[in-house]
Amino acid sequence: MNVIATEQLSLNYGNRTGITEVDLCVPQGEIFGFLGPNGAGKTTTIRILLGLLKPHQGTARIFGQDCWSHSATIKESLGYLPGDLRLYPWFTGKRALSILSSIRGKDLSIRGQQLLDRFQLDENVPARKMSRGMRQKLGIILALVHEPQLLILDEPTSGLDPLMCDELYRCLRELTATGATVFFSSHTLSEVELLCNRVAIVRGGRIIADESMDTLRKRVHRAVVLRYREPDDAARTQLPSFLQLEECNGAVCRCVLTGTTPQLVEWAAEQPLEDLSVSPPSLESLFRRFYEAKEPGK
Amino acid sequence: MIKGILRKTLFETWALHLAFGIALFVVGMLLTMLLPQLEKGLNQFLTTLPFVRTFIQALLGNDFGGNINAETLRAIVWVHPTVLTLLWAHEIVYCTRLPAGEIDRGTIDVLLSWPISRRRLYVSESIVWLVAGAWLCGMLFAGYWTAGVFAPSQGDRSLRMPLVVIGNLYCVYFAIGGVALMVSALSNVRGRAMATVFGLLLASFLLNFLIQFLPEIEFLSPLGVLSYYRPASILATGKVPWADMLTLMGIGFVGWIAGLEAFSRRNISTL
Repeated sequence: MNVIATEQLSLNYGNRTGITEVDLCVPQGEIFGFLGPNGAGKTTTIRILLGLLKPHQGTARIFGQDCWSHSATIKESLGYLPGDLRLYPWFTGKRALSILSSIRGKDLSIRGQQLLDRFQLDENVPARKMSRGMRQKLGIILALVHEPQLLILDEPTSGLDPLMCDELYRCLRELTATGATVFFSSHTLSEVELLCNRVAIVRGGRIIADESMDTLRKRVHRAVVLRYREPDDAARTQLPSFLQLEECNGAVCRCVLTGTTPQLVEWAAEQPLEDLSVSPPSLESLFRRFYEAKEPGK
Repeated sequence: MIKGILRKTLFETWALHLAFGIALFVVGMLLTMLLPQLEKGLNQFLTTLPFVRTFIQALLGNDFGGNINAETLRAIVWVHPTVLTLLWAHEIVYCTRLPAGEIDRGTIDVLLSWPISRRRLYVSESIVWLVAGAWLCGMLFAGYWTAGVFAPSQGDRSLRMPLVVIGNLYCVYFAIGGVALMVSALSNVRGRAMATVFGLLLASFLLNFLIQFLPEIEFLSPLGVLSYYRPASILATGKVPWADMLTLMGIGFVGWIAGLEAFSRRNISTL
């Protein structure tokens, strides 16, 4: 069952494109990474899912219900952390949990206290006196406290120290172990790589990739650095088809290996090389290529 | 669910309601006690500066005859600029909180992530607005009534007619608040919403004065909110101004409904 399903979702801000024909399917129990550079359309998509924006075209459904017309019902089982979190200045952990208990119609104090302890947040400090990281922690607690079936997090680790990031990751894994789903928006690859089962990459308002992390890893190529004896050797060399030249600087050439390592070794043995290094596969380089690729038609 | 939102709204605004309530109580009491003492001096003043008479007439909305008497001065309590300013300032501040204020400070994202529909949010905010109106008008009336305890010689202390005036004033509060909520529902910036409502009120107030000096624009008088609020006439005739009150309720209701529809259908973007 898909917890989130969008079809041909499009929205413009006047003349500016927000998102175009976004198709997403997020199954239950998955940690889904939503990756893209700033201004790519991540937050716009999330705001449509939350019923804050009405799409100009297409449909967005959560738990099978329309995100615009059944927004309040959906939010009974949804937790959300906004990207640019702003809290009421008078919000303390205690007060926020008390008000949220009234609104959600159940006592959240025990679970809230557990989360406050876990994230090491003083329940009596008002938001106006909190640092950015403390406000972020309170936002995360408010999103998690009612044990939602779907958690939408928009760049949740901004402002958090590494220890708290780890604590958040543990919380998310615990949540998905109970069958909940996490929609995790970020522009940082490392955390998506660490946490997510699947990732969609958005750029210029369009989904340009939507694959499992395993599939993406298989597509990752190794970087190869060839150091020739003389710069002239480097200039004269004819690279084989399984090596793509990225940059050549004097006697040093940086390439991407699209073939196998034995092929490379066999070819390198016949070259006037002084040194050869092969780096481990890195998703970073793949994502950079996704981010930097020119849009169709440009 | 509404209970939680009401708690949040009250927590944020109780100081505002309390401060304005106390201010209206004090102003109502002081005006009721002090204005009748001006009767003699004010009439002398009017003979030397006749245009002041036009200003008072514009405030009261009808001609009070040759001299200002105690009854006229009692009517001034209910239309005194300090009273109207306090009441309207409260409305401008309160009614532009949702959604303009929430969008402006970015807290709307948190608010709308809770399982409560926009309609319920708007209704919750409106419940506090209506109760606050009753509280403010009540405090003004309490100030007027308390002044009678301290200065029992201030003429007729019948409560019926002042209560009718308070009812009429509450209708003014309802009309202005309804329009203010509509303006707020259409705006992303609280300052802009406040300026718009202030501008509308100022225009309405000035129109009421201009008509006294320019009878040829008398036909515009239905556009001024004070045309539907005539305490002097109520106190003089003893009649309940049903038509004026219904007109004000109608304006407020149309504004309120328009605001409700605009808020429930609009896109919310804090980007």
